[in-house]
Formats: sequence, structure tokens, C-alpha cells
Amino acid sequence: MVRDVAGIALDWTETGAGRPILLLHGFVPLAHDAPVLDALARAGRVMAPSHPGFGAAPRPDGFETIYDLVQLYAALLDELESPVTLVGCSFGGWIAAELALARPRRTARLVLADALGVRFSADPLHRDILDLFNTNPREVTEHAWHDVAKAPDFDSMPDAAVVAAARARDALCLYGWDPHMYNPRLGAWLHRIAPPCLVLWGESDRVVTPDYGRAYAAAIPGARFSLIPRAGHHPELEQPAAFAEAVAAFMEETR
Amino acid sequence: MKAWYLCECPYPFVPEDVLANADSVRASLPNRYVDPRLAADLYHEVLDEFLLCDELGINVISNEHHAGINCLFGASPLFLGALARQTRKVRILSLGTLISVRKDPVRIAEEYAAADVLSRGRLEIGFVKSGGSEMASGNANPVGFVERFWEAIDLIIATLTHHDGPISWEGKHYRHRSINVWPPALQRPHPPLWAATGDPASSAELARRDILNTVVLRGPEGTKKAWDAYRAARLEAGMAPAGPEKFAYSAFVYTGDTDEEGVRVGSQLLWFINTSLKQAPQYGRMLPGQSPPEAAPVLFRTKPPPGGAAGRPGAMLAGIDAERAIAQGLMFAGNPDSVVRQINEFQAKVGGFANLVLIGRSGFMDHAQAEKGLKLFAREVLPRLQTPALASAA
Repeated sequence: MVRDVAGIALDWTETGAGRPILLLHGFVPLAHDAPVLDALARAGRVMAPSHPGFGAAPRPDGFETIYDLVQLYAALLDELESPVTLVGCSFGGWIAAELALARPRRTARLVLADALGVRFSADPLHRDILDLFNTNPREVTEHAWHDVAKAPDFDSMPDAAVVAAARARDALCLYGWDPHMYNPRLGAWLHRIAPPCLVLWGESDRVVTPDYGRAYAAAIPGARFSLIPRAGHHPELEQPAAFAEAVAAFMEETR
Repeated sequence: MKAWYLCECPYPFVPEDVLANADSVRASLPNRYVDPRLAADLYHEVLDEFLLCDELGINVISNEHHAGINCLFGASPLFLGALARQTRKVRILSLGTLISVRKDPVRIAEEYAAADVLSRGRLEIGFVKSGGSEMASGNANPVGFVERFWEAIDLIIATLTHHDGPISWEGKHYRHRSINVWPPALQRPHPPLWAATGDPASSAELARRDILNTVVLRGPEGTKKAWDAYRAARLEAGMAPAGPEKFAYSAFVYTGDTDEEGVRVGSQLLWFINTSLKQAPQYGRMLPGQSPPEAAPVLFRTKPPPGGAAGRPGAMLAGIDAERAIAQGLMFAGNPDSVVRQINEFQAKVGGFANLVLIGRSGFMDHAQAEKGLKLFAREVLPRLQTPALASAA
């Protein structure tokens, strides 16, 4: 379905009822029937939009930056009746961290899963985040999945899914190319993240390693760090049940 | 007909097994495989070939590619400067500084103005849209590069045509608050402009901007398609019809004493297609922003889908030999009579062009072979090439 937010049509998936959960996706939008959606729906009303440019809805002219995405989702949080559990995966985790800073009162709690968005290393020769665009896509997949056999395979996917993957790749590159997948200033403000925060990480993630996740958690006051076994950069896709359980348990703890 | 010599100064001396095992011979091939002492020899040889062109009446081209075996002229403006000073007669085309990967087009315009002044008004400026691997080596976002390309051209023209600076520019991609180039270019309103594209939509845009369109290695059908779009766009815009002086064709060219020699030596130029184009998917078929997402089912898959759709662009050229290259209008090679005939036949198919770009040295072709081909071309071929009076391909 489509939902209009601040005059922008969002490709929108919604399931479940109760406490609102806003799920911001990573490299690719969640399929409308992604198992993680139903698993999370046991904990509340799950809203999973596609970032403009990624899903079926068009990207408005000039809407090209993380700034635009943060303004868009800030408008959405303002529209919703109550504060949300904000869950951001990978690239969506970057947006979620920015959003928790921009709308602290509209964010009941924050879950960052294998989130991008920050640079921790002081060594300019060290790369915190795997270069997603100057690396052979086969190698990116190997870094991103615990079990590569579960990764999307263009050779066996239907045409429409390959087209969607290409749209997502273009959009991700547009928003996150430089600095590559981070905001140089976000790290300096993480200490101002107010809501309770859980940092979830795929144990086998080599796009951003668990140590990067630990640094993320250490920078956010009171944040807890937790590993998800047998998952890489996309625990919400590779271990949807464990992912949903971790989120639900955190929601209970911080009720 | 005006002839232009292009040698990209390739570096073919990387071991074959390294090239075979690398997923890309551009951008990511480690630079330990290039020996700067050999590179120095190549620089000197190719610059000497340009100086020979100056004597022979063949115009010269300074180009730019980065971090790969196909071209050692990454620091393009330096070589343009050398040509501006060391040649004395011929025109010099920069084809060109990769404007969509450089951060500041004003600096590019400044370099061009200096080269025009240094050469006393012999500079022509060519715009090229970069290869995919150059987005990596030039640290540029591949998404949006076409937008940047056009804005950079606009900014460079604005910089070159304003002679009462400073002016300022606040565009979408570029911002520069004090533009005031000293010295300005010698040619007014600005040096002649070229751009390389074989894409009909881009050709039409060049037509509206009155920029010369060079098509590189597209064969007669692709070339005619681009130039038909160019001619039509000018008429639609109410501009004067495009004559052959608005067009250039770039092909492999080698002239030998005999057909056998011309084809044998000339076939070494095909190294460019068969060896130097190999690039990893992230620089080519899966480069973001490069192709519409709808093309992904062909571009992203490693195997053709069941039922076998069409191959990828460029795939039909892989493993090409001289006979096919000549038949497809990508190469003009043989004895002088054959080269003249091949070029005239191509002219007739595409409606006429006044500029021929000779890709005259590539791969393992050596300096002596390149010079021999240039001399024979200048003496035996060039005087016999006619430019059709008016482009009239219907």
C-alpha cells in the first residue's frame, strides 16, 4: 500500500496491532511477506516503509540526501499518535540514530541492528565500513551473510525482483556514497540519544563487524549490546525469529 | 578532412596470468604491476609521436583515463601542457579531462585557459563522460554523474566566456563564489567544444549546445543513429543544419605498405577491446546509476535467463579480430588504397564527417610501428580523403 507523509508517497507495509514499531530497512526494502514482519507483529503494530527510491514509490525530485530522509521520517513520527519503537537495520539504522536525536520525544525506544552511520576509527587508513560500491558484489555478499546460500541470487530471482534490487542499489549509492555510509558528525552526538537503546548485531557481520557495534553501543548512554548467532549483516532476514524475539524482549524490559 | 591522432599510452606489460586472474584491469589492479621506468619510456615515445604529428599535419589529442592498463595519462593536464608548448602548428584536443569526477570545474577551465594561451589559441576542448571504473579512481558518486557532466560543462563555458570577473556560481552540484580566471582563454568566445557520445539522447543535447559530436567505435549504424539525432535536434531547435564539421568518428586506424602489413600491425590495436576493457561488475554492468533498473535482469545475472535473452552491451565485441573489426567499421586498416576506400565507405553510410580520430597505437604496437603508420597515413591517405560538402544522410 501507499501512505502519504509530508506530501511524499511511501511504499508502505503494515501488519499487527498495538504499540507502534517503525522498522527502517537496510540495503533493500523488506518484502511485503518478509517473515520478520509477522514475527515482530506479535509485539505490536509494525510499519515498514520503503525509503524513497528503494521500493515501488518514486523518489521526489531533489530528494537525495540523508537530511531528506530524516526530515521525512521526523514528519511521520510527528503524525503518529504515540511514540514509536524505532528499529533501524543497517542503512536504516543510520537513519534511526539520526531520527532518535531529531525526535527524542517521539522515540519510545531505539533498536539499532548492524547500523551504519558513524565513523569510530581515528586512523584514516582504516575502513570501518566495507566499501559497498567499489567492492565486487560477490565479495559484498560474502561479507554480509552468515550463510551465503540464503543471500538473494539474481540468477534465480524473478525479473521484477532483480529490477527492485537495482533500484535499491542506485538509491543506496545516491544517499550514502560519500562519506561512505556515515555522517562525520553523528558520532559526536550519540551521547545525546535519550531513549532506551538496544544495539543488535549479527555475529558474522563483516560489513560492519561486531566490534563496530560494540563501539556504537558504548557511545550511547545506557545502550545494551547483543549478538545474534548465525547471522551476518542482515539478522532481520537471516534470523527473523531471533531478531523479533530480541526486539520484543527489549520492548517488555523497557515498558 | 582533418585527422587527429589519439594514443592513450597504454601499459600492456602486466603478466598475462595476472590479467587473467584479476576481476578488473582498471581501478583495482594493484599499481605494483606498473614500472615507472617503463612508463617514462612510454611517455617519451608517445609525446614524440605527437611531435611527429605536428610535422605531418595531423592534429593531436590529449586524453585521460585512470588506474588501469589502458592509459597512463591520468594526470591529463600535465600532458596537455607539454603538448601546448612543444607542438607548434597543429591543433590540440583535450578529450578530455574527466569533468564529472573532478570536484571543481572552475579549476579545469583555468587549466584549459592556460593551455589555450600557451598554445597561442590551438586548443579544442572535449568533454567525455568517464568510464565506470573512473568513478572509483576519481572518488566520484556514479549516481548523478550525467547531471554533473552537464552542469560542469555549463560552468566551464561560463568561466571561459566571462571576461569581466569575478562571477559566482551556485548550481546543484557545484558552488564557486569567485570565478575570475587569469589569463582567460585566447580564443573567443571560447575554444571549440567537442564531446564524445554515441547515445542519441546525449547527441541531441550536444546539438542544441552546438558542441561537436565525436562517436567512438560504434560502427556505421550506431554512429548514424547518434548523428541523425544530432541533425534532427538542431533542426527542431531552429538552428542551422549540422554540416560534417560537427562530427568526428574515432576508430582504430593503421596504414601499412601492404594490406597484409596494415592488417597485421593494425590488429594489435584490438588489444584495447580484447584486453584493456575487462572490468569488475561494480565498475560496469552493476555500476549504480549507469543503466535504468529495468535493464538489471540482463546486467545483474551471471547466466542468461532460461529462454536466452540478448547479451550484454559490448559482449558482442569480445574476442574481435581484424576482419570483423574492419567489417563493422571499428577499424580502417590495410594499404593506403584500402584505408581510403574503407573510410569513404564509412562516410557514405553515416552522412559525412570532417574529423577522423585515429586510434593509432595501442597494446603491444611499438613506437616505430606507430610512427610508420602515421607517416604513411599522412602522406598516402589523408590528402585523398574528401569531406562531403553537406551532411545529407536521410
